[in-house]
Amino acid sequence: MPKFLKDINLKGKVAVITGATKGIGRSTAVAMHHVGASIIAIGRNTKELASLKIKLKIRIQCIECDINNYEKISREINKIKKIDILVNNAGTNLPEPFLKVKNSSLETLLNINTKSAFNIAKLCTDKMLKLKNRKKVGGSIIHTSSMFGLVAGPNRTVYSMTKFGIEGLTRGMAVDLAKFNIRVNSVCPTFVATPRAKKYLANKKFNKYALSNIPLGRIATESDVATAITFLSSDASSIITGSSIIIDGGWTAK
Amino acid sequence: MFKKIDLKNRTALVTGAGKGLGRACAIALAEAGAKVIIISRTLSDLMRVEKLIKKTKGSCLKFECDVTNPDQLKNILKKIKRLDILVNNAGNNRPEHFTQVKKENMEYLVELNMKAAFNVAQMCSQKMVELKSRKILGGSIINMSSQLGRVGAPIRSVYNMTKFGLEGLTRGMALELGKYNIRVNTVCPTFVATPMVKEFFKNKKFKQQVLENIPLGRLAEESDVSTAVAFLAANSSNSITGTSFMVDGGWTAK
Repeated sequence: MPKFLKDINLKGKVAVITGATKGIGRSTAVAMHHVGASIIAIGRNTKELASLKIKLKIRIQCIECDINNYEKISREINKIKKIDILVNNAGTNLPEPFLKVKNSSLETLLNINTKSAFNIAKLCTDKMLKLKNRKKVGGSIIHTSSMFGLVAGPNRTVYSMTKFGIEGLTRGMAVDLAKFNIRVNSVCPTFVATPRAKKYLANKKFNKYALSNIPLGRIATESDVATAITFLSSDASSIITGSSIIIDGGWTAK
Repeated sequence: MFKKIDLKNRTALVTGAGKGLGRACAIALAEAGAKVIIISRTLSDLMRVEKLIKKTKGSCLKFECDVTNPDQLKNILKKIKRLDILVNNAGNNRPEHFTQVKKENMEYLVELNMKAAFNVAQMCSQKMVELKSRKILGGSIINMSSQLGRVGAPIRSVYNMTKFGLEGLTRGMALELGKYNIRVNTVCPTFVATPMVKEFFKNKKFKQQVLENIPLGRLAEESDVSTAVAFLAANSSNSITGTSFMVDGGWTAK
């Protein structure tokens, strides 16, 4: 009798995770490692990479690299033997009211959230396609987007612009890479209890704004997001591509 | 950090559980540890599903029930102690060109896909909120939608209308039931290899049209959909509500 519940199992799979030192990236590294994947963690912070390496002990390789450094990141990705999964997660936010957005903020966010995300996706896809039986074994790319990739929020014009962009990239890549059996999806979390969001949420007014907009009345946890990403990376989601898993407690349902 | 799909000590009700997707969902939820209440109009179908569930060492209760008759479901709900999960799956399709849709077919689909779906969702929600510890334990409702709840398709205007409607119901329910920690989502499959679709596929031209529209180039399997349903039913998707889980091989990404 066929099984109707597919296992989430990543044994033998190699997953590249950017922004792996903290928050969602780090939790995803731990979650994927837990279900058997070999992790290649990319991050800028030496100390945090080392502590991740200690935590996971086996099946982990760390690459210290700023993803904005195209030369270095392409060299590093070229050195990797095999990639099955990419968690294109590195990103940041510099909230400012639209009328006061600094040119430097705009450039920072476009460089990290858009250009580097595209470059990493491209470099990793090239590597994924090197595997002869890719069509048979499949591949999965997950972009860390945001609910602000679907709706707007105050002081987040640039962030929304970059994340809506990632949503578009996800759809386009999904269509182009389907023939290689490489699936491409995004996750769209609401505010997550990450170090970065915790800073925003320390502001009482902001906290109230966030919680009053989430019908479930709580922010997401890192493991909520890591679990969804792990699901999308595994064969349990083998017919899901070009879509967004929205992890937002109902924010965008309103 | 990785939340397993685990439904131990959970009771789930699945409508339209006699065949196709409903049957697959019932078995998948049982595989994940839930006690499953299977309902359908056809007792002989239910008996076969019961056997399959027992093979997975799962437990189930079966009730013959026509969901378009609210009194029948009301009586069933009186007989069960508690309900944590609803898979609101019963539904049908009668493809006809818009200009030729017969009134009785339109009424039949609205009665079943919308009115009955609403009534089942409402009665089950009332049952779910009865539990005092609901807020702590949470609950999950999955409405069986379709990719055609998101995009149009030829000779499916009525089906489109009913499934878009279900998408709207899902958003609204998610908002109102958030405070009870009951999450409400849809799954939107592309064409699935079910008996209903296999029948449509006897038309070779239609089959070719469908496959050309799925970037991954294949139909969804029943287990693809039932796994997504199990994920949404479990605490693995703790922060996900008011969303649509696309299981469509990229159809709507185009």
